[in-house]
Amino acid sequence: MSDTESLDLTPVAAPPTTRRSRRRNVAVFVALFAAVVALLAQGVLHSLNYFDTVDQALATRASLGTTTFRLEGIVAAHTITRTSRGASFWMDGGNAKRVFVDAVGQPPQLFQSNIPVVVLGHFTSRTSDTFDATQILVKHTASYIAAHPSRVRAPNGTVR
Amino acid sequence: MIRLALVVARKDLLIERRSRVLLWQVVPFGLMALLLAGLALGPRGAGHSNAAPGLFYLVMLLVTLLMINRSRAIEGAPGTRSSVATLGIDPASVFLGKSLALAVELWLAGVVILAGAVVALHTALGATATAVPSVVVTLAALACAGTLYGALSGGGEGPATLLPILSFPAFAPLLIAGERSYSAALHGGALWQWWVISLVALVAYLSVGILLYGVLEES
Amino acid sequence: MMKLLSQRLLGPVTLVLLALTVWLGIWVTPPDRIQGNLARLVYVHPAVAWVALYVSFGTATIASGLYLWRRTRSMVMDRVAHCAMEVSAVFIILTLITGSIWGRPTWGVWWAWDARLTSTAILGVFALAYLALRRANDDVEVRARRSAVFALLAAINVPIIHFSVQWWKTLHQNATVFTSTRTLLIHGIMAWTLLISFVAFTLLFFWLLRARYRLEEARDEEVARGLEEALAERQREGVR
Repeated sequence: MSDTESLDLTPVAAPPTTRRSRRRNVAVFVALFAAVVALLAQGVLHSLNYFDTVDQALATRASLGTTTFRLEGIVAAHTITRTSRGASFWMDGGNAKRVFVDAVGQPPQLFQSNIPVVVLGHFTSRTSDTFDATQILVKHTASYIAAHPSRVRAPNGTVR
Repeated sequence: MIRLALVVARKDLLIERRSRVLLWQVVPFGLMALLLAGLALGPRGAGHSNAAPGLFYLVMLLVTLLMINRSRAIEGAPGTRSSVATLGIDPASVFLGKSLALAVELWLAGVVILAGAVVALHTALGATATAVPSVVVTLAALACAGTLYGALSGGGEGPATLLPILSFPAFAPLLIAGERSYSAALHGGALWQWWVISLVALVAYLSVGILLYGVLEES
Repeated sequence: MMKLLSQRLLGPVTLVLLALTVWLGIWVTPPDRIQGNLARLVYVHPAVAWVALYVSFGTATIASGLYLWRRTRSMVMDRVAHCAMEVSAVFIILTLITGSIWGRPTWGVWWAWDARLTSTAILGVFALAYLALRRANDDVEVRARRSAVFALLAAINVPIIHFSVQWWKTLHQNATVFTSTRTLLIHGIMAWTLLISFVAFTLLFFWLLRARYRLEEARDEEVARGLEEALAERQREGVR
């Protein structure tokens, strides 16, 4: 009998997936799911915020001190004053809280009353509600409402 | 699986101990990169800089890239992969072992680079010690991601320039989490929140690696 | 017959809808109450982002998944994934460019490091890395498998981008169409123009994908023919 006759060279099928490895895959998927849930439940929801709101900043003013951060609020109506360095205005939070912003530099094109803005800067002291800003960013909303220049303005200020 | 992973890790670490590439080439490169970063910030900016945590992780990222290529080069020796395939070793164990070995190497390099940051960038020693748990977890996550992406790029067989572009997008969240956590340790803030993100990333990369490393090694 | 007709009509219909979008977007729709004429970018940027993130990246991800699944594994899936990712890379770049053009006059900056922008840029790097990975491997099987795994890993970023404006406070505005309350924040002719732009850019994607796929198929055939000719040449040399 020759060597080739004694050797069985028939291709064999790959071994089926074992129960153990299947169990391991399930465990891995469970771990992955738990990791995602942990990520959503704890860390990410608060950690990657681009700014603090006026309410948040005022609540943590003592710990913020004079560190630089981004602050978001709505420009209070009729409070904008153009200064030689830039602009100053009051910025409203949610719960009737407000911060006075003294900003340096040219404000963006859309900067106006009642618009949400994000300002980069710091409080002047741990107890102050004056915020020295070096940059104003306008945060426009997701709503699109058609402008109707032909509509008339009633004496009470409403547009009809 | 764990026993086999420990064998693979031990093998990689023994090779590293004998070749001393980490000690004589990679760590000195890391320190040099840290000094260059200090020079780039200038004499006034380098000391007590807010950029110190970011620079530390940037240097560690470069060190990681070098070590991944090194880790893959070990597997690239003639006959190694075919031997592993013939022996029928579980790819998940290989992934775990190689990740563990890479993590140990990164931890060792990290200790030296952290000390370098204390000396050259004047980061506070006590605060740096507080950042150590987050550094440990972030570097372990980098090791897992690195092992996975090393296999993806082909390591020793593929072009070395491919690994950075493949891995940087995956490393970015780790870089952010590590930097924020270290910054929080130095300047105050949500230290543990970022630590959790690094931990979750570690679990995620471990899971994905265990599932997919075999698919990559098959090719 | 229907298939042939739809293939023939795809290009002209896409062009008509794109032209309609331009006409409605520039001449018919009114300016926005706050943003004025800047709001006209809403007929380009969201539709381009829709194609970049969901349609093309989604196609590449699904095709990659189908390639990795043994039952549906075929080079067609690999080719579709490759072509879709190439189109996706172009659309992601366009998303970032049109977003920057919109951001400068509204926000006041070309770029902001907020969660939406940063995660989109990372997805762009993923797409470019995918294309680099494909060029690095000559072995067809190896290339297909590694690319498919990489595409699946990169796809994790898509839900992060989608939910980023809900999970985190971002400078980028929240969704206008796919809102969490399922209410449209745009109305009338503006909403219709937005809808047409979404359809137009989606059809544009399929048109580009089809053209790119044909090119890739022709290239593969050319390579195969070249190989056959080389083999035949060698055989002739052997006979001689």
